[in-house]
Amino acid sequence: MRRTNLLAAALIAPLLLLILGSFLVPVGLTLFRAVADREVVATLPETSAILAGWDGEGLPPEAAFAALAREAGAALQARRIGDLAQRLNFERTGLRTALLRVARAADRLAAPHAQSLPALDARWGERETWLLLQRAGGPTTALYLLRAMDATRTPQGEVRALPVEERLYRTLFLRTLGISLLVTALCVLLAYPVAAAIAGLRPPWSAVALTLVLIPFWSSVLVRSTAWFVLLQREGPVNGALQALGMLEAPVQMLGTRFAVVLALVHVLLPFAILPMHSVMKGLDGTFLRAAASLGANGPQRFLRVWLPLSLPGVLAGGAMVFLLSVGMYTAPALVGGDRDQMVAWFIANFMNRDVNWGMAAALSAYLLAMTGAMVGLVRVLTGGVAQAGLRG
Amino acid sequence: MRAALLLFTALVLGFLLAPMAAVVLLSFSPTELMVLPPRGLSLRWYEAFLTEGRWVLATRNSFVVAFATTALATLLGTAAAIGLQLGRFRGKAVLLTLLTLPMVTPYIVTAAAMFFAYSLVGLSGSLAGLVLGHTVVAVPFVVVAVLATLQGFDATLLRAAASLGAAPLPALWRVVVPNIWPGIAAGAIFAFATSLDEFVITLFLAGPGQFTLPRQMYASVREFLSPTILAAATLLFLSSLVFLLGSELLRLRAARRAAR
Amino acid sequence: MTATLVRFDGVSKSYDGRTRVVAELDLEIRRGEFLTLLGPSGSGKTTTLMMLAGFEDPTAGSITLEGARIDTVPPHRRNIGVVFQNYALFPHLSVAENLAFPLSIRRVPRAEIGRRVAAALSMVRLPGLGGRRPQQLSGGQQQRVALARALIFNPPLVLLDEPLGALDKQLREELQAEIRRIHAELGVTMVYVTHDQSEALTLSDRIAVFDQGRIQQLGTAQAVYETPANPFVAGFIGENNRLPATVLDATRLRLAEGSMLATLPHGLQAGAAALVSIRPERVLLEAAEAAPNAAAARVEEVVYLGDHCRLRMAWAGRTDFFAKLPRQQAGQVPQAGTTLRIAIPEAAIIVFPA
Ligand SMILES: Nc1ncnc2c1ncn2[C@@H]1O[C@H](COP(=O)(O)OP(=O)(O)OP(=O)(O)O)[C@@H](O)[C@H]1O
Ligand SMILES: [Mg+2]
Repeated sequence: MRRTNLLAAALIAPLLLLILGSFLVPVGLTLFRAVADREVVATLPETSAILAGWDGEGLPPEAAFAALAREAGAALQARRIGDLAQRLNFERTGLRTALLRVARAADRLAAPHAQSLPALDARWGERETWLLLQRAGGPTTALYLLRAMDATRTPQGEVRALPVEERLYRTLFLRTLGISLLVTALCVLLAYPVAAAIAGLRPPWSAVALTLVLIPFWSSVLVRSTAWFVLLQREGPVNGALQALGMLEAPVQMLGTRFAVVLALVHVLLPFAILPMHSVMKGLDGTFLRAAASLGANGPQRFLRVWLPLSLPGVLAGGAMVFLLSVGMYTAPALVGGDRDQMVAWFIANFMNRDVNWGMAAALSAYLLAMTGAMVGLVRVLTGGVAQAGLRG
Repeated sequence: MRAALLLFTALVLGFLLAPMAAVVLLSFSPTELMVLPPRGLSLRWYEAFLTEGRWVLATRNSFVVAFATTALATLLGTAAAIGLQLGRFRGKAVLLTLLTLPMVTPYIVTAAAMFFAYSLVGLSGSLAGLVLGHTVVAVPFVVVAVLATLQGFDATLLRAAASLGAAPLPALWRVVVPNIWPGIAAGAIFAFATSLDEFVITLFLAGPGQFTLPRQMYASVREFLSPTILAAATLLFLSSLVFLLGSELLRLRAARRAAR
Repeated sequence: MTATLVRFDGVSKSYDGRTRVVAELDLEIRRGEFLTLLGPSGSGKTTTLMMLAGFEDPTAGSITLEGARIDTVPPHRRNIGVVFQNYALFPHLSVAENLAFPLSIRRVPRAEIGRRVAAALSMVRLPGLGGRRPQQLSGGQQQRVALARALIFNPPLVLLDEPLGALDKQLREELQAEIRRIHAELGVTMVYVTHDQSEALTLSDRIAVFDQGRIQQLGTAQAVYETPANPFVAGFIGENNRLPATVLDATRLRLAEGSMLATLPHGLQAGAAALVSIRPERVLLEAAEAAPNAAAARVEEVVYLGDHCRLRMAWAGRTDFFAKLPRQQAGQVPQAGTTLRIAIPEAAIIVFPA
């Protein structure tokens, strides 16, 4: 038995190491980026140390001004000032300019720096700037997590909601949630009768119908999204067909609309709803209904009191699967949606690729994970821990 | 009532299949115009697909990555599933959840994490990194598929093998593997399909020159919508039909076995 | 070559660290014998066998085979044949391939494998079935293949864990004869687990009666049946009437009603409580007046069983005293309500301290 366990451990270990090393640790590291604050300490170690001892009243000592000028200049020389500039500018717009001005002029600045820096850029004469720099001394910050909820921290350290016109992410999360819930609801509503009908078909036909569901299930999300991208073109087949049927007079713009996103998502995710429902319903044989009928239940009663509760686990599994896949979906909205139809995944991608703002990418990822985790947890509780079926996307 | 239900089902199935059918039809279009019904049939876009360097290269890359991923995922996933089934220790459920976590993690999060962590160790932009990334998302399917067939495997067969003189590894190879190969094959097919279709992780993890078919398709769609993309999409679609066929055959076989 | 093949020395086994499923087991298995481990469900028979085969590790104690410790040797190097209750034939291999498995593991030359497989098939009387899959055989045939597979690599010891448990009575008897024949032919040592006492009596040279992880008695079939070491053995093997009693003097016991003459074991003083065990078939019916322990007993119920009748009688203050009436000649079956004169020979009375 000990020997068996050793063998089992040896068999599991390689995969466990792979998952740990190339999935769990990377995800952990990335999530840590959501709270990590290292740019200031890394680039301005001395300034940071001096500010750590500052009581926050008035302005910091001359030494802080001098250290900032020296270290910013050195960092610019070494071409490693970019991360710091971005970090500061992200928290307060304009600080990039202020920092770069000092860095470029570092050699020429005369003592006392407490006067020459503010002369170069007025922001260095403001206590707020220095407080911000002091607080950015790390090692962790709530900045990104707060910003991803449209909140910020005042220089005094209070958490405050951003002004309405600067708000962005609450809407984003609400939109993601809204689209996902709508898609989930549509999928469940469409899938339920289909699954029931397939479960009620006779042998050759049930297999045929199931195969017709499996075909889209097996083909890739990208291919199917691309199909919609083609079909929904202004000169594309859908517009053409609607015009030919006389339902449209002129072609309408469909790509880049919320409608296109929901349509593509429903199409992509519908099989994930049908299959779990079907597999539950297939197991419910007609004897339950016949028993209910023999006990005097009429048609609607048989449906409401027997069939519906028994098929509910399938509905739950299918709905959860659709929601889970939808909430993190990148491909379909990216292809057929406009800028205002994008969901969290698209923003994460942008923060990684375009803005190279890891803190925000990580913070959004953390919230997205929390959403999916909550969903998985909810389903586990509701289904009493029944193992989830396979899913792809 | 029943007629209405069947009609509704037919409509929904039509909705599911129509876009793919349209793409297949349009890929044979003789012109760049994508109109239905097509005005004639031609194979020119397939010719373009087979001769244009970037598509050929992307196809090659896709298959290299998919084969490597399938080999790695099948090997590690099968071993882990067998280990999970054999072992008598606590915390198996937790371990299984850990190993299949990539299945429920949004791909974008996985992609971001890999992009970040792999670049720390110089793996991003490399073939090895791409294979590793694909393996992580493909391997849970292998674990799940193999575990499912292992449920029907009688563990006393392993004891019998040992009593007959077979050491643990030869016993696994000669007794367990031949009895669960449909599950292994199903897992391998799923792994191959997952890798071939994988897009989000590739988008972030692949190097500038590492185009796979999905990545090339996405890039081309953004650039200029040519029917060559539809030819590529059709071919990918056909490959998924092949995988579907394979997995269904395996399932039928398993069902027949269970019935015996 | 010593007579002892296997030796258990103070072997204990616990799965949960608290209850001992096997407790301080000392057991010697003799070369060439047919030893049966007999006991009720859960008494630790399988566990004992599995420790010998190497599939469970003893918690304490040692096991030796041919004088060498084997409890640390992995199962695949013990060279012990095992026949499992569910046959455990490899479903992906044909019958011949199943038989060849241990030989190919041992790198026996191909030609010799073919020869030995054919010989093994004819030994278990299945010639010509080598090409079949196990699933295409009947249960009895599968068990024959399993037996042949456990023997084909000539292990000195073969373990059989309830190999006939899944078969019907007729097939079971047929295979029992087969196993006895093979045991006699090959001279291999066999350890056989069963909870079927008649099977144990039929097959064994010696029987080890298990209960609660301990061997209650080890001896020949006759010994465990006729001179059970304790009430458990007496009750587990064969039927018996149990009567509480009190010792009157060196030769007499008092029952709930009346008294009787008996040979008492050592150390039972007058006044001590005792338990009397009497096998139903040893009760004499229609006895002469002078017979030992003769008394009148009323027949309460008669069950006709073909070769004998089972009588439930009122005697010694109870109404569940059983006796067997063999039907050597056709004739009247006693009627319920009649009174018979019974007697119990002193040799048929087994007395245990209570
Ligand atoms: N793997 C195990 N883990 C925990 N307890 C076990 C295990 N195997 C057996 N036991 C327990 O050990 C005790 C003895 O079991 P064992 O199988 O040896 O009995 P047995 O005499 O062979 O009974 P049976 O006639 O039912 O086969 C039982 O109480 C059983 O529940
Ligand atoms: Mg047992």
